[in-house]
Amino acid sequence: MKYHFILLSIVVCFFLINKSYADQKQLVGADADYGEHLFGECVTCHNSTGLGQGIPKITGMKTSQFITKILAYKTKEKENAVMQMVAERLGEEEINSLALYLSKLK
Amino acid sequence: MTKMKRRTFVGLAAATTTTLSMPSIAFGALPRVVVIGGGAGGATAAKYIAKDSKGAIDVTLVEASKRYYTCFFSNLYLGDFRAYGSIGHNYYGLAVNHGVNMVHEWALSVNNAAKKVNLGSGESISYDKLVISPGIDLKFESVNGYSAEAQSKMPHAWKSGTQVQLLKNQVKGMKKGGTFVMVPPPNPYRCPPGPYERVSMIAHQFKKSNPTAKIVILDPKNKFSKQGLFMEGWQKHYPGMIEWISAETHGGIKKINAATMEFETDLDTFKADAASVVPAQRAGRIAMNAGVNNGDWCPIVPASMQAQADENIYVLGDASIAKSMPKSGFSANSQAKVAANHIRGSLTGSKVFTPRFANTCWSLVATNDGIKVGANYKATDEKIDKTSGFISKTGEDSNLRKATYEESIGWYSGITSDMFS
Repeated sequence: MKYHFILLSIVVCFFLINKSYADQKQLVGADADYGEHLFGECVTCHNSTGLGQGIPKITGMKTSQFITKILAYKTKEKENAVMQMVAERLGEEEINSLALYLSKLK
Repeated sequence: MTKMKRRTFVGLAAATTTTLSMPSIAFGALPRVVVIGGGAGGATAAKYIAKDSKGAIDVTLVEASKRYYTCFFSNLYLGDFRAYGSIGHNYYGLAVNHGVNMVHEWALSVNNAAKKVNLGSGESISYDKLVISPGIDLKFESVNGYSAEAQSKMPHAWKSGTQVQLLKNQVKGMKKGGTFVMVPPPNPYRCPPGPYERVSMIAHQFKKSNPTAKIVILDPKNKFSKQGLFMEGWQKHYPGMIEWISAETHGGIKKINAATMEFETDLDTFKADAASVVPAQRAGRIAMNAGVNNGDWCPIVPASMQAQADENIYVLGDASIAKSMPKSGFSANSQAKVAANHIRGSLTGSKVFTPRFANTCWSLVATNDGIKVGANYKATDEKIDKTSGFISKTGEDSNLRKATYEESIGWYSGITSDMFS
């Protein structure tokens, strides 16, 4: 029983590490410094503290969730004039840099 | 450290000091940035330079007030949508979280050659780079008969603070069925939709407690920001209460009389029971003293926000000619981040990224009826050029307008946290 638990833990850890690696691998051209710089544009509206009233918090958002949402604004599938405008000028390098920086934020 | 390595290190340090050849950057001393003005431009610049340099740059913020009341959202205080205390902020976060040296004094003058800022106390502070973000001064004389003395009778309330409290008091105390006269400023000025949001908030007050009151807008312009949206909102929420009279209709305000509360125009003489007069504006005085202005405003290098007249001075926000960006808190915050990145790069060699500018202005027309306009900008050799934008549409769904208002509350929380935390 004890060995089964250890084996299961190893498998779960391997899966998580591998998934995290896969997430990082997708971030082509990502630069955390650039992400931090770009993030300055986000925090004019997205409060990094507080409850996120009126505008949701983005700190703590998963990388994949962040990219999916930004792309939905970029293609105008998701409504919001401000976010569509923000997403419009974010290229792959910018989106991935932001995603990398966000993933490093606690 | 081995003997050889120590010798190499000393040699390199000597070479670096020689290369910089700036008197204030002696070996071991940190490069120093002084920021004048603790508003949306200055507070943001001070924070980002201090935060991102991680102690490699000494940042001093010179701001006379210990508590800063934002101009943005002061209209919502007029309409009872915000408490006055909620638009006041202190500099604790900048000092404690980011190590910004707060100097609560007036900056009296700038000695460009010596790179020093002279303070009201008689002290002076040296700088390697200076950021000037003083906001606006009012040109009282631009409206014949208006003056600093008349501002208590007809508050401009265009720099937040007690003037806004006074105006609200006068609006609430206006006689039943009386007339309020609003005189907006001519272009260019701080917060283009501001006068019309102010009218909306005053109308909101009148609707509650003085429903037969009238508001007359004597505009020195023939059109204004978000005009279609405001006009639609006024018709919907305050029918018959607000009359906007363009410059070509009234022919110009010839004279105002603060004692009799009269406004003389070619069309008629209007008698007010309460009024707000917002005169023409110019860059804050310290920008003139530093010699970085050309007329009323300060030309800048679009890619960095450096003053065209002095590469060691950066001018942010309302004081700058940042065409095509409007003079707004959001614009100043955006420009501050571009300048901070450029200053850090020039003082520490850190990466300087392609400048990105943005602005969005939210306005409240009535309860849960928010509207907005926004744009992206990029720096060209000549200007900060608009690349894309949006504006709320007339006839929008009430749920969208409510969401826009709630978004503006989120933005206020976000930008003030960005500036002061």
